[in-house]
Amino acid sequence: MDTQWMKTDVLIIGGGTAGTMAAIKAKQANPEGEVLILEKANIRRSGAIAMGMDGVNTAVIPGNSTPEQYVREITISNDGILNQKAVYQTGKLGFGVIQELESWGVKFQKDAQGEYDLKQVHRVGKYVLPMPEGKDLKQILTRQVKRHKAKVTNRVMATRVLVKDGRAIGAVGFDVRNGDFVVIQAKAVVLCTGASGRLGLPASGYLYGTYENPTNAGDGYSMAYHAGAELSNIECFQINPLIKDYNGPACAYVASPFGAYTANAEGNRFISCDYWSGQMMLEVWKELNSGKGPVQLKMTHLDEDTIAEIETILWANERPSRGRFHEGRGENYRTHGVEMNISEIGLCSGHSASGVWVNEKAETSVPGLYAAGDMASVPHNYMIGAFVFGMLAGTNAVEYVAGLDHADPDPEFLEAEKTRIYAPLTRPNGVPHTQVEYKLRRLVNDYLQPPKVDNKMEIGLRNFARYHETLDLMGARDPHELMRCMEVHFIRDCAEMAARASLYRRESRWGLYHYRVDYPDKNNDEWFCHVNLKKDDSGNMVLFKRPVEPYIVEVDLEREVYDVAVR
Amino acid sequence: MFADTDSELNEWLEMLRSPELSDRLVAVKTLQHLGDEDALDPLIAALQDESTAVQKLAVTALWELANPKAVPALIGCLVSSDEEIRDEALSALGELISPDHLMLLLDAVQRDSVNMQLSILILLRKIHDAQSLPYVLPFFEAEQAALREAAVTTLRYLNQVERCQPAIALMSDADDTVRRATALTLGHLADAEVVPTLCQALTSDADWQVRRNAAKSLALHANAEAVPALQTALSDDHWQVRKFTLQALQKTPDNHTLPALIKALTDEYSDVRRDAAIALGNLRNPAALNALQQSLDDPDRDVCIFTQRAIQSIQEPTPETSNA
Amino acid sequence: MALATQRVDVPVIVDESKCLEKCTACIEVCPLDVLAKNPETGKAYMKYDECWFCLPCEKECPTNAITVQIPFLLR
Repeated sequence: MDTQWMKTDVLIIGGGTAGTMAAIKAKQANPEGEVLILEKANIRRSGAIAMGMDGVNTAVIPGNSTPEQYVREITISNDGILNQKAVYQTGKLGFGVIQELESWGVKFQKDAQGEYDLKQVHRVGKYVLPMPEGKDLKQILTRQVKRHKAKVTNRVMATRVLVKDGRAIGAVGFDVRNGDFVVIQAKAVVLCTGASGRLGLPASGYLYGTYENPTNAGDGYSMAYHAGAELSNIECFQINPLIKDYNGPACAYVASPFGAYTANAEGNRFISCDYWSGQMMLEVWKELNSGKGPVQLKMTHLDEDTIAEIETILWANERPSRGRFHEGRGENYRTHGVEMNISEIGLCSGHSASGVWVNEKAETSVPGLYAAGDMASVPHNYMIGAFVFGMLAGTNAVEYVAGLDHADPDPEFLEAEKTRIYAPLTRPNGVPHTQVEYKLRRLVNDYLQPPKVDNKMEIGLRNFARYHETLDLMGARDPHELMRCMEVHFIRDCAEMAARASLYRRESRWGLYHYRVDYPDKNNDEWFCHVNLKKDDSGNMVLFKRPVEPYIVEVDLEREVYDVAVR
Repeated sequence: MFADTDSELNEWLEMLRSPELSDRLVAVKTLQHLGDEDALDPLIAALQDESTAVQKLAVTALWELANPKAVPALIGCLVSSDEEIRDEALSALGELISPDHLMLLLDAVQRDSVNMQLSILILLRKIHDAQSLPYVLPFFEAEQAALREAAVTTLRYLNQVERCQPAIALMSDADDTVRRATALTLGHLADAEVVPTLCQALTSDADWQVRRNAAKSLALHANAEAVPALQTALSDDHWQVRKFTLQALQKTPDNHTLPALIKALTDEYSDVRRDAAIALGNLRNPAALNALQQSLDDPDRDVCIFTQRAIQSIQEPTPETSNA
Repeated sequence: MALATQRVDVPVIVDESKCLEKCTACIEVCPLDVLAKNPETGKAYMKYDECWFCLPCEKECPTNAITVQIPFLLR
């Protein structure tokens, strides 16, 4: 195979929600600058919103809510552990993003008077803005990337960020179709590779039947770690209430304004708020284990026209195969509740708080390396937060590269990485990636799935540490299989981080996300802090406490505890 | 990947003129993915292709290019004999039209085609311009119920229109869907007859969705005159009518409704019980406390929470200011 | 390493009578890159069983040749 060399000012790895916005904003900030998006799929249909999105969860619209109110709500729902300045950015800049998206042709739901039709799903405040026509979001973003003349290279997967003298100077990877080795020199690198969505194994046992787009294998978590960046709150897992087996959301957000609700088997509500949080997940877990389960999204009490409208919205967007799934089982919203279950675990700051450490400028702890979207640790950031941090990363990266020159990558590092990447091709009869991945993720389920138990997590950690040997048995027959093999490497890194971070924080916090049987209570005296981790100079994973930054919006956490199970 | 030079673009443009249908399909699809503005005119020309499959893909490709120059040609597609093409063109126009196209739309709405008229009535909602009113009103007397329904719905979107006598007459239309839409539109009109007309619909229309929509609109009006009709509607057979009636009563607290509200606390439907608790809280009448205490044991968590809040608001003289 | 070939039920079904040989639309849009052309027939097929049942292949096919089923294990 050949080696392709590329050069750009700003390299954006991942062309999803955050990545497309980062590219557009970088070009707006400096139209002369070179911006390259590296995408392992095709940006038309990639990332978490590949098939569109049915609504916005964090819309702070003037007249409805303020950035301060939004920061308060997220502070309380994330049990106080956050960098408020970063969360504030989403509250402050999100409205501008919504307006710009509208000017590009994205449609948000409005009432007959032309005002935004916001819905209340959080405990307090209206932040949910439906997008019944949101199925073409990705095509619209792709069009803007093209109009802004940012370059796109599809079907190339990055495997490592290049670092020299402590700063990010590019990335290395390979073409997943022809197998070429790809080296990209850049003055700044923005990681936007989405969640670590292939960490736990879905109950169905199908490796790719995950909640997240399965291309999002934790690439950025692993690449940032190996680049020396800090990661934060990895123990705050993402766990979602989903349609059992299907692994898409039941979408109480979409259906609840129409009168549907989450109920136990008796048809009664047991939570007061459908907003996804660890506290809500803990209530779902308790209800499922109480004998009152299964839990369902109940719509059977609604009339034909209302159900038809819900179906139109749910089946057109985000998970269009949902209707097919119900039909295949002979189920119907008119006669059946939608059985729900707890998803596999993942890492995703879009929903919870686990990600690469970033400040309010989207800077990681490595100079020249930025992160945005689901993989950047800004709690509950969702799609609007991904756009906002994509924007911040793009504009700040452009500012950072001014006057900088390209640096030459270390040839020894490139040679070592090339050997590492292509090793599975030297073993075409090695163990297939599917089996290696299945076993790894089954171990994640066995030992890391909350409630978290010390002894089990210790066993899990030993298994993940030893799994390097198993990775060395993996074989690939073509560049496509090689892509999957290298993704298993990412998954292993994420599993080890998840185990170590979970063992380190010796308390329970964030409801089910970090519910430890051995330390069932929250302990603010010792653990009111971030748990960060990084790779030290000798290559070891080290964990440490990082103090929570001073609040800019006052919240009394003693008085205001997040509770969705008022009794 | 695909072409990134002019010569490659030209190859696809040439293929779009091929006599082979399969070639033209591949070409139009590829041009859609390329998103090159230079393909605009050839794609507009492809709207006239002899194959409806090519036509439909050309509509999609023009939608993705999002160039307003395509709007007149796409409006032409609204009279296509192929339903999929009409639907795709309507979706595309929904994204592409701006207030600049108002005159073009008002011209098209007068064309003699029900499909065209229906689509334009829907598109006018995106512009919210009261100048459309004289063009919308004639459809109140259209032969097709779908046109009457679309027109009275569009009226709701014309922001500056506050009075519209002809709309009130549609409350006695023979078609259920027209009356349902009218009931919602009346929530935004201020003619003197509006509230009595809605009360009449709430208590006597044969269609429960008309009655529910009337209750929704009465909640917007928040007019005390409607209380007797609302009280009657609390015994409606359909739970959604009872639910939205309670939401209207929350806006106009009246102690005469106390016994009916207490009865609603034991409704079969939890949504009704929840809104009854909220309405009782708004009355701030201690006579409701006994009944509310019993609702604290409701099996539905939401009903318990709102009952608790209602009790608090009755016991505390000042309105709750905390938003927690 | 000893290997066995196993049969699997795959979610993406291509109607070969409709699939156009010059067209690669489905292959280009698949996020997981699981579709390919059969070099012998020129028709698309699901080469790798790694489907997220997200449907772009079906939606983008100019001749409606593709049907995506829910993967068997979830069905």
